[in-house]
This record gives sequence, structure tokens and C-alpha cells, in this order.
Amino acid sequence: MTRISTTGLAALAVVILALALAPLGLDPFGYALRIMCLMLLFGALGQAWNIVGGLANQISLGHAAYFGIGAYTSTILFGSFGISPIFGAVIGAALAALFALLLSLPTLRLKGHYFALATLAAGEMARIVANSWTSVTGGPVGISVPYRPDGGFWALQFENALPNYYLFLGAFLIVTLIFWKVKTSAFGYRLRAIKENEIAAEVVGVNTYRVKLYASVLSAAITAVLGMLYAQFQFFFDPDTIFGVASMSVKMALIAILGGAGTIFGPWLGALVIIPLEEMANSYLGNTVAGLSQFAYGVLLIVVILLNPRGLISLFGKLRAKFFGGNRG
Amino acid sequence: MTALLEIRNVTRRFGGLVANSDVTFNVSKGEIVGLIGPNGAGKTTLFNALVGIYPPTSGEVVFNGQTISGWKPHRIAAAGLTKTFQNVALFAESSVLDNVVTGGLVNRSLADARDFAAETLKRVGIGSIADKLAGDLSFPERARVEVARALCTSPKLLLLDEVMAALTPAEMEEVIDLVRGLRDEGMTFIVVEHHMKAVMKLCERLVVLNFGEKIADGTPDDITSNPKVLEAYLGANFSTTAEAH
Repeated sequence: MTRISTTGLAALAVVILALALAPLGLDPFGYALRIMCLMLLFGALGQAWNIVGGLANQISLGHAAYFGIGAYTSTILFGSFGISPIFGAVIGAALAALFALLLSLPTLRLKGHYFALATLAAGEMARIVANSWTSVTGGPVGISVPYRPDGGFWALQFENALPNYYLFLGAFLIVTLIFWKVKTSAFGYRLRAIKENEIAAEVVGVNTYRVKLYASVLSAAITAVLGMLYAQFQFFFDPDTIFGVASMSVKMALIAILGGAGTIFGPWLGALVIIPLEEMANSYLGNTVAGLSQFAYGVLLIVVILLNPRGLISLFGKLRAKFFGGNRG
Repeated sequence: MTALLEIRNVTRRFGGLVANSDVTFNVSKGEIVGLIGPNGAGKTTLFNALVGIYPPTSGEVVFNGQTISGWKPHRIAAAGLTKTFQNVALFAESSVLDNVVTGGLVNRSLADARDFAAETLKRVGIGSIADKLAGDLSFPERARVEVARALCTSPKLLLLDEVMAALTPAEMEEVIDLVRGLRDEGMTFIVVEHHMKAVMKLCERLVVLNFGEKIADGTPDDITSNPKVLEAYLGANFSTTAEAH
């Protein structure tokens, strides 16, 4: 499980090369490239969620809170004080980590659905605060990221989406690397033990509370940094989008779960399927039936959990077993 | 010599039910103590109280000179006291090796835990199934993985909860040899087992629980002739008729 075969490594190199070359034929101002940027960003978000949701099975439905904290922190610091979003992201990550810490103190003792509901409520709380605290967040009308074309690299603003694409590709690969490091370390063993049997994990020496706390804080900090990247890319967001249950929290979880929770490439597959699907649903149906994509998420989540709770990635294992007679079905 | 484990007046209540009532006994280093009693006597409850899953409602547990009652299970495990699970609580989606490695992480780096886990699997006689998924194993195999995972925490005192259930006589012999061998290296055991022959063979001392209370404590010979024990196991009629005839 922790070893990677030579063929696997070669396949990974090909995929990364393909990702690097993919945008070159595309219009840098075009719609397709924007969708690809979002795929990478949400793939990274799914991967960040995967650290705590996938490895430890702590199904958080409140990750939008960390995402929004990152986006608002960098945007406010940039807009009001001219602080580079790169530093803004560091401060945003620290605030999100602190929020995760405070939220974890009561919620990590909850199991299963109760944990999911408590985190869902925390995300909603963040949305309500952002809507009401108008003097800081701008309230329900949303907030714009000031355009500073002269800001250079430190402003992380680009005139077309191509630099964004490579920025997001880098972020996506870094978060994947972090996930892989966590998964294959002693920390990852402990997280998996918690997922499979929390009491047995404790009895053989795993400090389950502390391990879950560390994973939550790490996941929150990464999610906040990605929130900053999202803000610099979109230039505008409002509380209902950035703290949205369906538009953010459920989407992050769904990307990991659909692809294969707790697996390294699960979020890759999940983002590859969900983001284009969402765009299609929005462009074909968005004008006629509002909120249809949210409805589609719900349906998709139920279908995945009923039919194949191990996600799309497990289909590869099944295929390989069928053709090469592997024993891991 | 002072005791490795002191159980002092331990009581565990679940709502109105008293599962353990005022249980007191000591275990010295290097002992293999059998904990026996009819179904529902409170044997597993006492194990759970000792390792911190359901800490004692009242009373005190002193292990290796420290009062551990009230500690979290992971801290008790790190201090050198852990147990196996009667109903088998393995990490089913992980390999046998990964299950055992997790136990080793309590006091080792990942690399050392891997080496020690591989060694432990061999010692328990399941080296050949290291790469199998724990969920795919037979019951006797799983019981052995339970033992290996617990051993990998390097316990000073290990509580074995019915690890011999469903074993063949030959497999039981292997477990008895294993436990004896580990004892000779300085480990201490409390064993819950329903198979009386195995218990009599393995343990030099037996503690008997009935309805949550300790009713006897002594050598196997003392215990088998103790009228209270006979009554608990065979019913009140047996002892009275036995006396009458």
C-alpha cells in the first residue's frame, strides 16, 4: 500500500506531464481553461478534506468555514492594507487552524452523523457571521478583490488564466504530496486505525483525540490557503457562495468520496468528474431550474454511497483484478 | 516483591447494573493468572476497567507503582498494559502487518515498528499471512493477529480475552507455549478463557468472579474443590446434594 511500483510511478509521471501540457493549445482567456483551473483547485480541496475525512473517516461538512476564512482574510488584508495575498494566506491558514482547534475541542468527541452535523452547523455559523458583519466582510453583497495589475507576482493576479493554471497545478501536486506523506507516516497509520476501530486504536496506544485534532488543524490550514487562491482567481465572492453547504462543504467531501475516500488519487478522479458535470448542469439547466446542481450533488452522493462506497478508484482495482487476476478485488 | 498490578475495591456500574462489585486482588510480575467465572460474571468488564475503556466507577487500579484508573486507554497502553478483544476488533481493511505495526507505534518509530511487527508475526506463527487483509481471515487467525497487535505494544501486563476460542487442541498448545515463553522473558498475563483444560494447564493461579464479585482466589487445585465455585458453576443444588451424599 505504501510502496509505489515502477509502472505506477511511470503512469503518474505521464499524467503529470499531460496536466502540464494540457492548457497549451487552449485559449488562455477561454472558458475551458477556467474549468480546468477549477478542477485543479477543487481536486486540491478534496485532497485537503481527504486528510481528515478520508483517512480518519471524520466526515466534515463544514470545510467551507476554513475555505471562507482563508478567502476573506487574504482579500481583506490585501484590499485594506495592501498586504500580499501570500502573507494573507499564511494569516488565513493560522486563523482557520485556530478555528479548527476551537471547533475540535467539543466536536471531536462526537461520532459519525453527529460530527457531520456539528461541522455543518459550524460552516453555517461562519456564513451567518460573514453575512452580518458588514463592516468587515462587506456583508451579503460580497467582496471584490482589488485589481492591481502592477502588483507583480506578490499580488498573485494574472491577466489570463494560464499562470493560474500552473499555480493551481503546483498547489494540487503539493497538497497531494502532503496527503501521501501523511498517509504513509506513523500519523497515517494512526488515522487509519481511528477510521477502522477507534476503541481498539486507543487500547493499542493511539491517542485518538490528539491525532484527530492534528489532522483537522492541518486540513483546515491547507483549505484556507486554497481559499486565498480561489479569491485571487475569481476576484469576487459572497458569503453564500464561499461558505455554501452545497457549493463548498459538500462539494469538497463529495469529490473525495466519489473518487475514493482515503485514497491518493480519489480526489483527482472526483474533481475530474464533478467540476465538468457541475458546469454542464449550470450552463444547460441553471437558467431554468435554480439550485439543480446542488440537488444533483445530493443524488450523486447517495448513489455513490449505496452502489460503491469505495468510490470510482475501486473500479480500477476491480478491472485490474479481472484482467490480471490480482487478489485485492 | 511488590505487585505489578493492584486492583483495589474496583466497582463498575452501568446505570443500575453493577457489573463489577468491590473486586480486589494483586498480580505479581511473571504470573499467569486465570480469570474465570460463568457468562456475565464481569470478566470482560474488569478487563475494560483495567485498560481504561470503561474506567472503574469507584475503586483504584495501581499499575507498576502508578494509579492508572481514570487514564485514557492510550496512556495505559503506553505504560505497558493492554488487552486483546474477545469479539476481535482488528482494522479489517488493513493488512495483517499494518494492524500489528499500529500497535508498535506506541513506543517506536515507523521503521522500527515495521521490523518489530514482522518479528512478532513470526513469533505468533502467522508470518505467512502478513500481507492478507485482516477482514479476510478465519476466526482463529484473527485471534492471533489480536495477540500480535497487543504484543507489538511491548506490554508488561497483557490481558488475553478468550484468544483460544475456536482453536484446535494443537493450536491451543501453541498458544500455551507462546504465553509461557513470553512469561519466561518477564511478561505477566491475566487470561480469560472458557476452555477449562487450557486454563488449568496454563495458569498457576485462578481468580473466580460471579455476578461481578470475586468469590475465590487460589491455585487450580484449591479452586476446583472450592464449594462456592462449584455452586457458581453448577448451581446451588449441586453443592447441597454433594454434601448430603
